[in-house]
Amino acid sequence: MAAADSPSAALRRRDLCSRGIRLAGKMRADVVDLLDTYVEQQGLDASATVAAVEGVPLAAVERWDEQTGTQRLLENLAAYRAFRALLAQMLEEQREQLGEADAGLGRALAAVLLQVSAFAYHLEELLRLESRGIPGEEGDGPPPPPRLSLFEQKLRGLGVLRELAQWAVRSARDLRQLAKPSAATGTAPGLAESP
Amino acid sequence: MFSRWNWVACGFYLVLNICSPDASGGLVQSCGHIIPESPVLALGSNFTALCILNESCLDFGNIYASQIIWKIKNRVVPKEQYREINRTVSSVTFNDTSSLATPLTCNILADGQIEQNIYGITVTVGLAPEKPTNLSCIVHQISKFTYVMTCTWNPGRHTFLDTEFRLRYSWPEEVFPDCIPKGVNNSCTVTDIQFFVNTEIWVEAANALGKAESDPLVVDPIDIVKPLSPQNVSVSSGILPTVLKLSWENWISDAVMTLKFNIRYRITGDTNWMEVPPEDTASPRTSFSVQELRPYTEYAFSIRCMKEDGLGYWSDWSEEKTGITTEDQPSKGPPIWRIIAASQSPASWTVHLMWKALKPFEANGVILQYEVTVRDKSSPSCPLKKYNVTSTNHTLQLPKGTYEVTLIARNSVGASPPSVLLIPESNSKAPVKNLRTLPKHDKLWVGWTAPNSYVLKYVVEWCLVSSSSDCVMEWQITQGDVQGIDLKGIKPFKCYLITVYPLYADGQGSGESVKAYLKQDRPSKGPTVQTKKVGKAEAVLTWNHLTVEEQNGFIRNYTILYKTIDGNETVVTVDPSKTEYTLSSLTSDTLYTVRMMASTDNGSRTGPDFTFTTQKFGKGEIEAIVVPVCLAFLLIVLLGVLFCFNKRDLIKKHIWPIVPDPSKSNIAQWSPQAPAKHNFNSKNQMYPEGSFTDVSVVEIEADDKKSFSEQDLKPFDLLKKEKSTSEGHSSGIGGSSCMSSPRQSVSDSDEGETTQNTSSTVQYSTVVLNGYRDQTPVQVFSRSESTQPLLDSEERSEDHAGGADSAAQRQQYFRQNGGQDENNVDRPCFERAKQITHANEGDLVGFAQLQVSGQSSQPLGLGMAKNTQEAALSDILQTCTEGQTVRPETVEENPLSADDMPKSYLPQTVRQGGYMPQ
Repeated sequence: MAAADSPSAALRRRDLCSRGIRLAGKMRADVVDLLDTYVEQQGLDASATVAAVEGVPLAAVERWDEQTGTQRLLENLAAYRAFRALLAQMLEEQREQLGEADAGLGRALAAVLLQVSAFAYHLEELLRLESRGIPGEEGDGPPPPPRLSLFEQKLRGLGVLRELAQWAVRSARDLRQLAKPSAATGTAPGLAESP
Repeated sequence: MFSRWNWVACGFYLVLNICSPDASGGLVQSCGHIIPESPVLALGSNFTALCILNESCLDFGNIYASQIIWKIKNRVVPKEQYREINRTVSSVTFNDTSSLATPLTCNILADGQIEQNIYGITVTVGLAPEKPTNLSCIVHQISKFTYVMTCTWNPGRHTFLDTEFRLRYSWPEEVFPDCIPKGVNNSCTVTDIQFFVNTEIWVEAANALGKAESDPLVVDPIDIVKPLSPQNVSVSSGILPTVLKLSWENWISDAVMTLKFNIRYRITGDTNWMEVPPEDTASPRTSFSVQELRPYTEYAFSIRCMKEDGLGYWSDWSEEKTGITTEDQPSKGPPIWRIIAASQSPASWTVHLMWKALKPFEANGVILQYEVTVRDKSSPSCPLKKYNVTSTNHTLQLPKGTYEVTLIARNSVGASPPSVLLIPESNSKAPVKNLRTLPKHDKLWVGWTAPNSYVLKYVVEWCLVSSSSDCVMEWQITQGDVQGIDLKGIKPFKCYLITVYPLYADGQGSGESVKAYLKQDRPSKGPTVQTKKVGKAEAVLTWNHLTVEEQNGFIRNYTILYKTIDGNETVVTVDPSKTEYTLSSLTSDTLYTVRMMASTDNGSRTGPDFTFTTQKFGKGEIEAIVVPVCLAFLLIVLLGVLFCFNKRDLIKKHIWPIVPDPSKSNIAQWSPQAPAKHNFNSKNQMYPEGSFTDVSVVEIEADDKKSFSEQDLKPFDLLKKEKSTSEGHSSGIGGSSCMSSPRQSVSDSDEGETTQNTSSTVQYSTVVLNGYRDQTPVQVFSRSESTQPLLDSEERSEDHAGGADSAAQRQQYFRQNGGQDENNVDRPCFERAKQITHANEGDLVGFAQLQVSGQSSQPLGLGMAKNTQEAALSDILQTCTEGQTVRPETVEENPLSADDMPKSYLPQTVRQGGYMPQ
């Protein structure tokens, strides 16, 4: 937390938080739009319930308000790194399935992927300001998912996007918590707030 | 000889070496090559090239580096730049590559004469790229989710080489594909933009001579967005007449970017925009109510937006949307004025009320009608008269008096405040003072000084003055605290008549007028001058005033320019009010050219030339010469006449010699009765007694009158005529006397016949029939010794013509005689006498006798004889006044009897038909 003491670090932190919040908002809006497109393009039912997908981190957490700032950042970073891998896989599968026939969906996926990467970058920068080591990505990342059928791939993609939308909301709230002056200490906020 | 053949063989070998295809299909190995091969050189640097000859050529062709010639294009490089490194290598050095050109060739001068090309290279000269500068980027929103980033930069100087520019951008952990501009070298557009991450952007420029990078630009693309302008803008009116509500949609969701707005609006047709205060629209929104608008006015609105924090760019203005505020009651009454015209009845007026339609911002709606109320202030008991009018004027016939007119405009919401106009019976109040005008660009400012009294309002009337049409009046009302207004719509070069009336609370002041121009020009034509009167040294010039349309300004003066053909031009300035001018001190009998110029403040225009010639003599000069000359001539004539009259005897003596008159010859005095009374001295002197040598005397018996034939009496008749002709004259002979007249000559014509018969052959005889004055008539026939013709020869021709018919001659004679007496005889008398003559024509014989016997004694003065006859004839001529000439023909009424006639002697030859020369 030494870095947080300097004014420039505080400004940098605030700027990163602010930018990250807005990025999370933009990411949520884009993911919501993308979900509609994705459901339509993949021929899925928007109301279909998708069971938890393996490898996709869950945004919901208990005792969220008791988490420290660093903990929030680390959970977010892990989640978005996972989303980055999942989205990259989805983009590859999308290209394999549709080729260049539906470039719009591919561009939207690529844009969301970039946003996820950018958000992960924001988190890493914040962790650096927290003077915390950035956890390295685990080798090749999460273990490669088992080979799925096409329908299962579509459902998994739907689950990834829905969960990403949830994470976008949670991330925005996490960063708001971090942006508060008291949050700079890394202690858990007093207010109980649930994502 | 060997050497020559050797060189020929060498040249042939070189050609074969260069041109012969080898086994692979290409050229055979050449005799040398240049290093470096096709270099790219920096402009201004130095450069050295080497030409290396193949050993094979050395052996066979006997060629060496010393024979190498370097050429640029077809120009030989100076040998000072060569250096022979060894026998197979030659170098050339250029200190400045700017002198290089393509191709650079290495050549061999074979046999000292034949130049063969060994090798050639292409040299490219250029510059390394400069560091790109001024890199800037903007993110354009293309659609709701699409953004593109366009970056521009300054590429630097021209490199003369193919230079590649790349726009590069990256995140710390993400490198994006480069953006390579197409067709340009100073901008590139990136399509995959992600917001909320700082992106490093820079430009790389590279060519064969080097590479350069711009300074990096680190920016979050969300901070350089130019969003799309709000869409679906709509305008709706609310309950209040001064409010309109705008609604719109934003292209960007709040999740991406919150926006602030600018709202501008204007009245439709107006060019000036008004803007809602920015702080009122600095927060995200999708609607806004614009207040303080004018009622019933159409407004156009436009909106733009940008990122709320002010980073980035304003969007373009949205498409204009219009809306109309609701109506409100008119805010003021219409300005009202009047024109009072004389009515048929002197006790009444024709009042033309006129008012201006309210301006839209005053009417606040559609004016449905005007309510005019007229109140007679001179008789308050009279009821008010109300009129509902839909036009903007109303005419009333009113008795003369003081009236108060109230006007109200009404729309669907309500009525305006009333406008009141007081029409006094007379404009007896003080007028404005110091009325003046001043042009201001396209407006004419009218100013005045207020009267001492408090003025409610001023009315300014103006109209375009025209010579061909009436002055169409325009008017304007201003408040009483204003002392000048700008008149709009004033045309330049036109004359305006401006009148200002002050309106008081209790009356109206008389109008003050002034003429003015917004802008003056020189007249469109010059005056046409002409002369009214031209004298010897002066000329009166006249001209007409230019019409007001031709003046184009105030005519300050007229200038008359006149000159003779070869003289200097004289300039005279004339007051513009005049239309006539007299040029003086002109030269007489000289052609002058005159023209006239009219001048305004802005120039002059000259009219056509007019020429005139001054007179040779001045007024009265001719009269002054002619009248004295005439008077002098008349005086001389008069003096001559007087002289002649006084000296008539002397003149007669010298100029008019006395023709010997036989009747007065002294020989006739032998008549026993009157010798002593013949006292004509002249005759006595001219013809003294005893000078007559032969006299024949014939005695005529009175009783034998009838025995004479007419033929015998003819000579007497002729003599009678002679006497008659001589009546009133001194003599019928000569005609050159002072008292003679042409008539006399005519009347003597009858005499010519006799003269013709006797002048050359018969000596004259004078028959004295009567005595002189109171003397007893002596009837004497004298025969003259003279052979001088009795009548002047100049009368003979007339005599011949007139002697054809004796009867006619007689009548003519009498007429002539009568005419001769016109001075003495009234015409009636003459006519009567003539009738008488005709009636008694048959008695001519007796008359002839009478003539012969009674009138021949006084050849010098028949008047005397006439007097002697008056007494005898007075009974006959009762109708004539006393003293009138007695006509001979009247004598026949009182013929003398034969007894009374004295005995006379006729020439003896009469009866025998004439005299014979003696």
